[in-house]
Amino acid sequence: MQAYSLDKAETLRAHLAKTHCLLEVRDSDEGSPQWQQITSDDKTPFCGMRVAQFSPKAFFFAEREQLFTFDGREFVTTLPDSAPQALFAVNACDLTAIAYQDRFFAKDQHYQRRRSATLLVGIDCLSPCDGGFCPSVDAGPAVREHTADLILIPQSKEPDAAWFVAVNNSKGAAALQGLQLQKAPADWQQLRNTHEREAIKAFPDASYILTGVEHLNAGRISAEFWETLGVQCLACSGCTSLCPTCSCYTTYERNTDDDDTLVTERCWDSCLYDGFQREASGHNPSATPGHRVERFWQHKFSNDFVAEFGRYGCVGCGRCEQTCPGVIGVHSVMRQISKSCTT
Amino acid sequence: MPIKSINTICPFCGVGCGMGLRVSNQQVIGVEPLSQHPISHGQLCSKGWSTAFGIDPRDRITTPLIKDDGRFRVASWDEALSLIASKFKQFIAESGNDAVGVTSSARATNEDNYATQKFARAVLKTNNVDHCARICHSPSVAGLKKTLGSGAMSNSADDIEKADVIVVAGADSTENHAILGGRIMRAKFNGTKLIVIDPRETRLAQLADLHLQLKLGTNVALFNGLVNIIFKNGWENTAFLDERCEGLDALREYVKDYPITKVSEITGVTGIQLIEAARIYSHARAAFLAYGMGITQYVSGTRNVIAVSNLVLVCGQIGRPGCGINPLRGQNNVQGACDMGCLPNVYPDYQDVLNKDVQHKFSKAWKTEVPTTPGLTSLGMSRMARQGHFRGLIIFGEDPVVTDPDQNMVASGFKAMDLLVVVELTLTETAKYADLILPAASFAEKNGTFTNCERRVQCIHKAVAPPGQALADWQILSKLAEHMGCGSLMNWPDAEAVFMEMAALTNSFSGMSYAVIEQQHGLQWPCNREHPAGTPYLHKNRFPIGKAKLMPVQHTDPVEMPDEEYPFYLTTNRLHFHYGCGSMTRKSPLLERETPDGILFINPHDAHKLKLIDHSPVAAWSRRGYIETRAVLSEHMPRGVVTMPYHFKEAPSNQLTNDAFDPITKMPELKACAVAIKALPTGQQPRTINEIKQASAIKGNADVEVHHASL
Repeated sequence: MQAYSLDKAETLRAHLAKTHCLLEVRDSDEGSPQWQQITSDDKTPFCGMRVAQFSPKAFFFAEREQLFTFDGREFVTTLPDSAPQALFAVNACDLTAIAYQDRFFAKDQHYQRRRSATLLVGIDCLSPCDGGFCPSVDAGPAVREHTADLILIPQSKEPDAAWFVAVNNSKGAAALQGLQLQKAPADWQQLRNTHEREAIKAFPDASYILTGVEHLNAGRISAEFWETLGVQCLACSGCTSLCPTCSCYTTYERNTDDDDTLVTERCWDSCLYDGFQREASGHNPSATPGHRVERFWQHKFSNDFVAEFGRYGCVGCGRCEQTCPGVIGVHSVMRQISKSCTT
Repeated sequence: MPIKSINTICPFCGVGCGMGLRVSNQQVIGVEPLSQHPISHGQLCSKGWSTAFGIDPRDRITTPLIKDDGRFRVASWDEALSLIASKFKQFIAESGNDAVGVTSSARATNEDNYATQKFARAVLKTNNVDHCARICHSPSVAGLKKTLGSGAMSNSADDIEKADVIVVAGADSTENHAILGGRIMRAKFNGTKLIVIDPRETRLAQLADLHLQLKLGTNVALFNGLVNIIFKNGWENTAFLDERCEGLDALREYVKDYPITKVSEITGVTGIQLIEAARIYSHARAAFLAYGMGITQYVSGTRNVIAVSNLVLVCGQIGRPGCGINPLRGQNNVQGACDMGCLPNVYPDYQDVLNKDVQHKFSKAWKTEVPTTPGLTSLGMSRMARQGHFRGLIIFGEDPVVTDPDQNMVASGFKAMDLLVVVELTLTETAKYADLILPAASFAEKNGTFTNCERRVQCIHKAVAPPGQALADWQILSKLAEHMGCGSLMNWPDAEAVFMEMAALTNSFSGMSYAVIEQQHGLQWPCNREHPAGTPYLHKNRFPIGKAKLMPVQHTDPVEMPDEEYPFYLTTNRLHFHYGCGSMTRKSPLLERETPDGILFINPHDAHKLKLIDHSPVAAWSRRGYIETRAVLSEHMPRGVVTMPYHFKEAPSNQLTNDAFDPITKMPELKACAVAIKALPTGQQPRTINEIKQASAIKGNADVEVHHASL
């Protein structure tokens, strides 16, 4: 991996914004960090590590999109725009999730169309975020190899610190063309590793999560336990909407205005809905909320899926904890599992 | 095409969650929660998450429509408004100003609502203006106005975390106010004691420390009983009662008539539970009491509210952080619609329409005469229409044909009017009865403010242009005023100008402007010179009426009780996945999929006796109507009581419900009526109400008689 020294992240941002539709996470007027489009002449200082509550998966796997049309004779696939876009300063956990989604949607034209037009610029986190536990699930805080095209590496925790920019692949290298950058000093990787070790130490204890995962995989969690949690699940779909690795969708038909053409669309679905797996006969293999809550956590932490995806389905972002009105996000659930199975 | 996020407020219930509307190609394709929002903290319910479908431009009304020979045709704004103006002028000339009226929308903005009541009072010269608070919290407004001086939620959502006891009475808040319900759940897990008072075993009841599963319609007896226990044990807050309340002796004497044995018999709650509830509530450091439609939607609605208020006052659980009496409001802006004076008896900020000074104030400000007699409620307008005295109505964004009690009466009221104008997003059941339909802009297509149930005024922001020729309600009214020859009265450049006119005519909003609202992430009224930063909790040192009033109230049974002919109680509920008449939520393929196969929820024991299994087709009928659906067996239902949600036009619960009403507020008794239930032959598909009506038309029978033929 080649790396360069970079005085200001803004220089790279402005450079990329000339050739890409560039997005970064900024605090909105109202105060919530959100993905926002930035133009190349934007003078707002780069604000460093920020976690948007809405994960970047929607940039590839749109929450709602048209798949194809049928006019009575022909099915025509309707593919999305493929203008180049750059996601600037994506956290390690979200990049791990994108790599996970890349596998799931490997043959999905709509996803791949947007994905192949996207440049991913990662950023190493030097300190934990609220609710995050990426080190426990091998997803951060430093960007994992091959999950980004470029990686922004802060040289220190100081707010005006300089950067290294590491180049992971030819796409990343091409994106830097036209910028005059010095090669990074030889010890940049050592410095990066030191930073990551220090950052990991700063994370609060999340051993209950690993204990919970162990109990889950050992089959020690009773059906009654899940049913008790099921009472708390409102089926709002918040966890699955925000989870950066959730990829379920449903399709439905719509008539167009002229009524001659049928349009098939898809939108994000949620496995916590009763209707998600209900069959036409009315039979539902996951008939109770408890079943559905269990399935969700199995999908995130069961060893059974590791063979297919190379890792757990959880990247440690903690979004489910914040968005769950029923208090059954990852921290709450794993604390309860580790408590109930140990006592 | 990149996606832009425009931050605004959720358009569904009264909690007022923050959401970003994700816009691509001038269309809202999804939403995102706002992690820093002061109420929702990054959470949304299933309805909020599905908002984009609810305002999908594809099913919207995009031009004015005029009905000719029973069919709607496209018309220009000019033609439609000229027609309405000439008809309304004709009705007023022939039958007087009170022969016309307006129904406002609790879903619309404060600005829309202010414009609506101004149009009624300044242009039509009538106080005939109302909205759906009539059928949700009119008893709260009336009851709490009497006892405390203000009908709004006394405290804030943040007080949930400050309480050590939470009481939820007649409210299924995890379904209907999900984010608030979630906060109650979280508080319970953090050690707060939770008491639920509800005939059904709601989600919160399943989690509660104490569930008082009272019989339908026995609220007054229950609360009187609790107050009596508190007095008998000396658990009342004497200092608070001495200093802040009047009427103590009369109440103490009156509730002696509600001893434990009698109260247990009436309510079905054991004495031990009653004593425990009274002990926990009266000993709380701070007790947050929230209530909903299970208190208000009775003929005894206002008395129920007063009974709750008595308990709160006797224990001094008001005027401090973490406590209070908190009616949970149903619509995103039902608080605002009330505040803006879309009620037949009050101007904005609850200024009395019969008060001469108030009349003079508004007459002077608006530079026109205003009416001097009180107006009709929405059900009153419908009733007067059936009697031939009410001729023209404009309805904004409501679907009373589905949501109001006794559907057949509501529809006959509309049919009896000479002109019905409906301003809507989509072709609702009510819109089908209209002579004219006008296209409304949705919340995502306009600027303005919503007021949530904790009195927080929050700004909403236009994210996309309205489809076709749709306009905001206030813009429509402004144009219509012009066609009525009153152009100068309602000529505002933008929503903010409407807000500022309102703020200048009220006290509670006098310290507000869009800029400060944005900067403070919402402001809770009263916000004025004394409270420039707004008011998180009311009644700190005094009540608006000085001392609070304790008022003895009597228990009476619901008007209709089960008997041999109609052996079940029917109550009504709401589902987490749907909202109101379903006109927005049922456009989401996901939420529509969550609609259960049947919507009559019944206890398995009762079902067994009727030879019903889960999803059996059933018929249910009351003295007023007949519907068919499927039964859903639920352990959470008490025996002898069935419940139906009112979201579904195929099997509308309001075919069956009773429009007997609370004499003080005209609140209909939606929570209790008597019905009969019978299994339909296995394999028979339940018919929709329209299919049933068509069959009855062919047979030439009255609707109510159909069931005899079909059973």
